[in-house]
Amino acid sequence: MTRPVLLHKTGPQVIQEINACIGCNECLLACPALAEPITIDVLNRETFAGPISAPVARFARSCYQCSACVAPCPVGLHRDAMMAWLKVRLLRGGKE
Amino acid sequence: MYRQENSKQNSTGPQNSRPSMDSADIVIIGNGIAGLTASVEARRRDPDARIVIVTDQNHPTINTPALKQFAVGKVSREQLLAYPVGTERSNRIHLINGHVDEIHAQRKFIALKGGRTLGYGSLLIATGSSPMGLPANIPGRDFDGVLTLHRLTNYLDLRRRLGEVEDAVVIGGGVHAIETVMGLMHCGIKAHWLIRGETFLGKMLDQPASKMVLEHVRRSGVMVYTNTEVVGVVGRIGAVVGVVTNHNQMIPCQLVLSCTGTQPVSTLARQCTVPILQKKGIIVNDKLRTSVRDIYAAGDVAALLNPQTGEYEPRALWYHAVLQGRLAGAMMTGREPDKADPFGVPWHATHLGEISMLTVGDPLNSSEGIITLTDSNKASYRRMSISGDRLVGYLALGTAPQDSLAIKRIIDEGLSIRSVKKELLKGTFDARRYFSHKRTHATQGAIKTGRLPETSLFDLPAAPKQLQLPAPGSRSTQRLQTTDALQSLEQNDYSESRRHTDDLQLPQKSLRLSPDMMVRQRAEAEWEGSPTGYRLHTNPRMVEAHTSEYTDVDEGEPFQRHEGKRNLWTYAENGEQ
Repeated sequence: MTRPVLLHKTGPQVIQEINACIGCNECLLACPALAEPITIDVLNRETFAGPISAPVARFARSCYQCSACVAPCPVGLHRDAMMAWLKVRLLRGGKE
Repeated sequence: MYRQENSKQNSTGPQNSRPSMDSADIVIIGNGIAGLTASVEARRRDPDARIVIVTDQNHPTINTPALKQFAVGKVSREQLLAYPVGTERSNRIHLINGHVDEIHAQRKFIALKGGRTLGYGSLLIATGSSPMGLPANIPGRDFDGVLTLHRLTNYLDLRRRLGEVEDAVVIGGGVHAIETVMGLMHCGIKAHWLIRGETFLGKMLDQPASKMVLEHVRRSGVMVYTNTEVVGVVGRIGAVVGVVTNHNQMIPCQLVLSCTGTQPVSTLARQCTVPILQKKGIIVNDKLRTSVRDIYAAGDVAALLNPQTGEYEPRALWYHAVLQGRLAGAMMTGREPDKADPFGVPWHATHLGEISMLTVGDPLNSSEGIITLTDSNKASYRRMSISGDRLVGYLALGTAPQDSLAIKRIIDEGLSIRSVKKELLKGTFDARRYFSHKRTHATQGAIKTGRLPETSLFDLPAAPKQLQLPAPGSRSTQRLQTTDALQSLEQNDYSESRRHTDDLQLPQKSLRLSPDMMVRQRAEAEWEGSPTGYRLHTNPRMVEAHTSEYTDVDEGEPFQRHEGKRNLWTYAENGEQ
């Protein structure tokens, strides 16, 4: 029998990861999908809660989960999981 | 800003004509990450409290760990901000630029330089740390080009100088020093790294690990001098031209960078009418209370009990400052989060050039009953200390980054690592798989005992309403109920997330919650039980992702179990059960 394995981190874990983010920007530098300047503070806040602004929403949609952001993180965090969380929030939440 | 506060809050009376800040409910000293996080958290929990931050820093809160990236030009000044621009204003947090001279603990007010006073309901000391710098007896330490790296101004200074420097000397034997060295190499500057001791990071790394790091640094072209101290700085017409070491060696350079560690700024603990207990920092309990009533401390200045060594020590790390800020914010609004030890074991992860370093807990613990396992090859090294089948400490060096927070969680929650011991030791540990399976056990336990899983301290702030409402015209009652259930989940209602986990096996039935079931779940959610030892490792959203229909916000067209999208969330694993 096959058993599903959750590919991404749970809500509290993502919050924990955002708390641990030091804002060094390495993940965004490595990102092949980032097309417009987004600062890490805004991205973190909006991944967390609150309204999602248009640039962040576009970025979240263009993220294709390639995980290029994971290796450069000095603190060993998973930006891909945070982006997945953002995608879920976008899907749930209607228009930006 | 102040008027806005008063207009929303009628109880403060007729003082809205003059912005007098004679007293505030919550006063925070310091606008570092701990201070600002605390104020934002306090505002989230108490919309009416009057919150004031007193700081003598002339810039907004920044991501201090990113200053290293800032120095080498990877990050711009705007990107340094830790919170979006205008956070203070939108959260109605009043900022006072000033220096606190004294705390009057009995009458509960602080005295600022210049004679201004400010009463407080509760006070947070988040004054952070200051750099040690070069010893005061070193001649030439005031030449131009001798920098102590700690604050934004230091890094602005460094960034301006980098263009005209060929050789730089870095002093210090810690993580800060090695990160600075690697940053200089990144800029093509020849770095000379002076370490006082024989090894690098003697308290955190063992011999082989330290050797490996130093070897790696040497190979990347850095001159490493161990057992070496600076005895003097040589200058010519006011600027540095070199340093002299205790081996009577002269190292020519145009820049001397001191990364010799920090110490907590706990002067306010002495300048309090009731002296606050302090040793290596201001001593606080696990709720961040100091020895004086209504005074809290958080961030680099706070010394917390290390559960593994039994000593009070500051944890001068970003992550801990954020967590402590959040807890302090909650405590100062009078709402105590119900969790015993939210901080857990120390944790440190960083990149040292190409290799990443991770230490969690106490990997060097060699007391009785603790087994140490090591594994090394050319490019990596791992060391684990195990007590029974519990992990006590973990140290990893290597090119493959580890899921650091997952390993911290294993130690914090005392999870059994029997099944993953080998993977951990070989560095092939797959945290997602491990926790996915754990989740099932936790769920089973929760069902059998009827107890609720432990709630997390860091609950999600409620998302704004417009995000929670289903898209107009979309879906039937089922969709609505799902959203409703998820709304309460967003407020970290784990009793319901348990339901969802159960439903994993029966996806179709899952989301049709009858009204009385919802009522029961609410009632359960309100029950605050004893610590249960169970924690749910599921994301209900993920469950929803493959049990319910979605309206794709891009196209406005519903899709159901679209394979491509589904693969985003889950993959099937064969051969289990």
